[in-house]
Amino acid sequence: MILFDLFLILLIAYSVGFLYYGLYRNITARFQRRFGPPITQSFYDSIKFFSKEDSTSHGWMFYLGPIIMMTGAITTLFFIPFFYDRADFRGLSDYGNLFVVLYLLVVGPLGNALGVGVSGNPFAVMGVTRGLSRLFAMELPFYIAVIALISINQSADIATIASNQHETINAIAYPLLFIPALFAFIGMMGQSPFDVVGAPVEVYSGPAAEFSGKFLALLMSQGAIFSFAKLVLMVNLFLGGASGFMELLLKTFLLFLFVIAFGSLYGRFKTPQSIDFLLKVPTVIAIVGLILATWS
Amino acid sequence: MIEGFLKEQQTLEGDLNSDTSHKSSVEYLINWFRRRSIFVLAYGTGCGAIEMPPTFTSRYDAERLGIRGAATPRQADVIIVSGYCSYKTLRRIIRTYEQMSNPKYLLALGSCTVNGGMYWDSYNTIKKLEDYLPVDMYVNGCMPRPESILEGFIALQKEIADGKASSWEKYEENYEFYRKNQEAVLGKKVSPEYETNWYLYDGGV
Amino acid sequence: MRIINTLLAFLSLALLLSFWQDNFSFYVDLALLGLHGVVVGVKTSALSNVFALLIGFSWLMVSIASFASKKNTHSTLFLWLPILSLALFLIVYTVDYLLFFVGWEVMSIVSYFILAPTLTPKALLKYILFAMASALALLMGIVILYSGAETLLYIDANHGFTLLSQQMKMILVLLMLFAFFVKIGAIGFHYWLVDSYAQADDLFTTYLSAVLSKMGIYGLIIFLTQVVDIYSLDWKILAYTIAIIGVTTSVIATFKAIKEDELKRLLAYSSIAQLGYIVTILAIAGGMGGVLYHALIHTLVKLLLFINIASIIALTNRSKLSQLGGLIYRTPHSFVLLLIGIIVLAGMPPLAGFASKYLVYTSLLDAKMLLILSAVMFASVSGFLYVYKLIYGIYLGHPTHKSLESVDEVSKWYLIPQYIIALLLVIIGAFPALIVPTLNTVLVQLHVAPIPFETSTILESPLGAYNGFVVMSAFAVIFVLVLFFVWRVKSKAKNVKNRFDIAYCGEEPTSATPLHYGYGMGQELQRVGFIAIIWKQSSASFYNALTLMLFSLSTRLRKVYTGNLASNFNWLIIFAIFLLCWGLE
Ligand code: SF4
Repeated sequence: MILFDLFLILLIAYSVGFLYYGLYRNITARFQRRFGPPITQSFYDSIKFFSKEDSTSHGWMFYLGPIIMMTGAITTLFFIPFFYDRADFRGLSDYGNLFVVLYLLVVGPLGNALGVGVSGNPFAVMGVTRGLSRLFAMELPFYIAVIALISINQSADIATIASNQHETINAIAYPLLFIPALFAFIGMMGQSPFDVVGAPVEVYSGPAAEFSGKFLALLMSQGAIFSFAKLVLMVNLFLGGASGFMELLLKTFLLFLFVIAFGSLYGRFKTPQSIDFLLKVPTVIAIVGLILATWS
Repeated sequence: MIEGFLKEQQTLEGDLNSDTSHKSSVEYLINWFRRRSIFVLAYGTGCGAIEMPPTFTSRYDAERLGIRGAATPRQADVIIVSGYCSYKTLRRIIRTYEQMSNPKYLLALGSCTVNGGMYWDSYNTIKKLEDYLPVDMYVNGCMPRPESILEGFIALQKEIADGKASSWEKYEENYEFYRKNQEAVLGKKVSPEYETNWYLYDGGV
Repeated sequence: MRIINTLLAFLSLALLLSFWQDNFSFYVDLALLGLHGVVVGVKTSALSNVFALLIGFSWLMVSIASFASKKNTHSTLFLWLPILSLALFLIVYTVDYLLFFVGWEVMSIVSYFILAPTLTPKALLKYILFAMASALALLMGIVILYSGAETLLYIDANHGFTLLSQQMKMILVLLMLFAFFVKIGAIGFHYWLVDSYAQADDLFTTYLSAVLSKMGIYGLIIFLTQVVDIYSLDWKILAYTIAIIGVTTSVIATFKAIKEDELKRLLAYSSIAQLGYIVTILAIAGGMGGVLYHALIHTLVKLLLFINIASIIALTNRSKLSQLGGLIYRTPHSFVLLLIGIIVLAGMPPLAGFASKYLVYTSLLDAKMLLILSAVMFASVSGFLYVYKLIYGIYLGHPTHKSLESVDEVSKWYLIPQYIIALLLVIIGAFPALIVPTLNTVLVQLHVAPIPFETSTILESPLGAYNGFVVMSAFAVIFVLVLFFVWRVKSKAKNVKNRFDIAYCGEEPTSATPLHYGYGMGQELQRVGFIAIIWKQSSASFYNALTLMLFSLSTRLRKVYTGNLASNFNWLIIFAIFLLCWGLE
């Protein structure tokens, strides 16, 4: 039973994730006043890469890097419940909690970083360096917001946090926590202005520089799954969770739309700039929010 | 205006799905995906490079056909050689081409890649690109407009869909021929730190 | 020498495990020596057993690793190591501060003898100054404590402590904290630590980091829970101060580690940072479980990492990230082991590191110290940068020298202890509550709330539990499925034959191209304000200022006490007159 549940979760995340990616490309195109690809384009891309004749590998660690990344993405997905009040689509979330998810979010990228490192491509390593340097600045406001939520709800269970919001959603009840978390979330989704990691021309597309064929396809697929997992997490934490598929899709899509709209409008920060910004503006807001929210 | 775009796209894509009777369904599917998604490494060699940005950006928007830029040769399906190649550039093009993973296609722009064009007498450019690397599609003109580049892509997509674009196989089969020509202009060390037997070895996991 | 040492280590561990449950105690009244009311003794208890286990285990692991070098290079080390370990056992098993002090002093001095052959004079001077200052502070603290309680037994010390005046209490607390913080290397007191760690014999660094630093933690546990009741309301400010010192230590040491190029210095800073977490939660009620858990995991992981580093240094004769690189396919075993080590060090979920981090976080959350928790999590995430830098600099990327391309796997004597530890870490990762019953006996002994326990797979905390077994098996199963899928898809992976075959903008890198520059990652943080401040500051400047002050003070003093007999005589006369006048009054 639970296996079937997990399979369905994976299937939904995969298809919705790719759909969102297609929409992302299409909507960005509209922002740039062009027609854009069909929304299934990302799916085509990944299948195309899976069916290339060969893929360049740099030994077993390189081979395992994207696989760890994929594993990290799927595991993260399984530990986030889709709905707060339904017995199905809970995945493995009864066996973990928010702390597990917070750490699982970084397992994949770090595993992939090993594959990137072993490829020996200095541009790729430069991308990883940027990613890791940005990571701690990005996570700090997010962690502060999450800590505040856990403390308010006295529970690290995601479904509990989601279901405690039936009166006012956290985004409205605690705007000073939501705003910094949103900034961090834009960074987590790899959107401008925090997208310096995979700059295509500057560092040769960063960590992905050396991946070809099926490895690249794997990275694309995990990107779709991972993005959906992060969206569901954010919806659960701040937007009141969901009790049905329509609600889930609507909320995740609105959030996604906001993120890509934001990303299309802003230019790119340099690494120190983004660290500086994240450590100054969102972190300070988050600390104020934390103090206000948990003062009593 | 959007209507005009849609119509144009329909006419361009109109005859793509013809002539597929001889393919097995899996191969048909794979070829369909391959033609639907093309990552391009735009190697801007000659003057033709100036026509590529409009092709890929808002004005001509190649992405609506599933054609988008790739940053590195590892990720690319198509390499565009956009004009004359000096010997110095040719070395880089060969290396980049060999780093791409199969199947891969080469799109050559302008008369310079066909027969040397106005660089016929030059002491340091090659004349026929075809002697050094297998070309899938030529787009002629000096320089070709973005419309022609797009049409070149469409024609390439058609060949891919039909499974006829097999220059990469040709390159592996006739490797000695190409290698000889390459060595003739570049000297013995075409790629100094690079073992060619890797390129021809098959298997893998 | 090595064989005897290993046998002794094995024997002590075996003794410890076979008498794990038994209670044993031995007291001596020192009244015979004229010290009235002073009873000293040793006694087994749950807390001492746990720490003794750490000592015995680390001793054995280091001893096994010592067989790797063909020549008996560490002979002096292994002459002293049994004595050192004996002193450590004395420290953890004693029930009074007199024997504790004896053990502490022996530990410092024996360490000095071990460090002396390898350290530069300056580093050695730093070590001995700080060690002596620590011992002196401890001694003064003990004297003050004795003045109140008239006894040195831990069990009576709390009563004696309450008898002291408020100022005396404060002085005592400061002295003791200084003594233990020096050993731990809390920020500001770490001045000696990094140099000693970096220059000591590679295997002794392992022992230093794994065990000797834990003695500071042990001393703090005893002092703060048995003598001062740190969790009572009276000491709330002290508790907060300790927590803040701990978390500052973590953040600063983490960023210092990010900047380091030398392997052992990097790990030394990492050690300081990890102990910072322990100090932080030591100060809060409900954090004791996390303290013990993290101390245990940290001991294991530092053993693993330092033995790994020692093996690499022995193999290549290079000790800097900028001189290594690309060893992964030459030494795959070491790579995997270091990988396990850094996963644990970073606190990643499937392995044991996450369990201890989880306890640290939840206990801070439970105590409502949210800002401190944020800072701890910040330090913890920043730590990813240096752990990746460590594994990248050594094993990934490109070799920076020809000799690195022809080395073979490290000696099996280095691998055996690492595999044992790695296995333990994996098992604890899957069964995070496996050691909780043991820890709970300690917590009961210390009169703090035990960690809730049901089954060995579920680690419980006030704010929710997680199932380590499910996390790990989910990870493993998904990994295998994805691997199978990737293996079977149409696209086939071809291995490149040449490491220079990388996408490099069409260029052809050669062995002269600096491809391994990633070892310097993190340097660009220089441009971020507060990190630059952390990097620029060093405790050296503080101690230099202190030295200058002492110099000027002694110059003044020299004006009075000139050293020639006549002026001394003058002072004597003045003193005599002073006495005379005082007497007349
Ligand atoms: S064909 Fe014409 S435009 Fe193209 S490279 Fe040659 S000269 Fe330039």
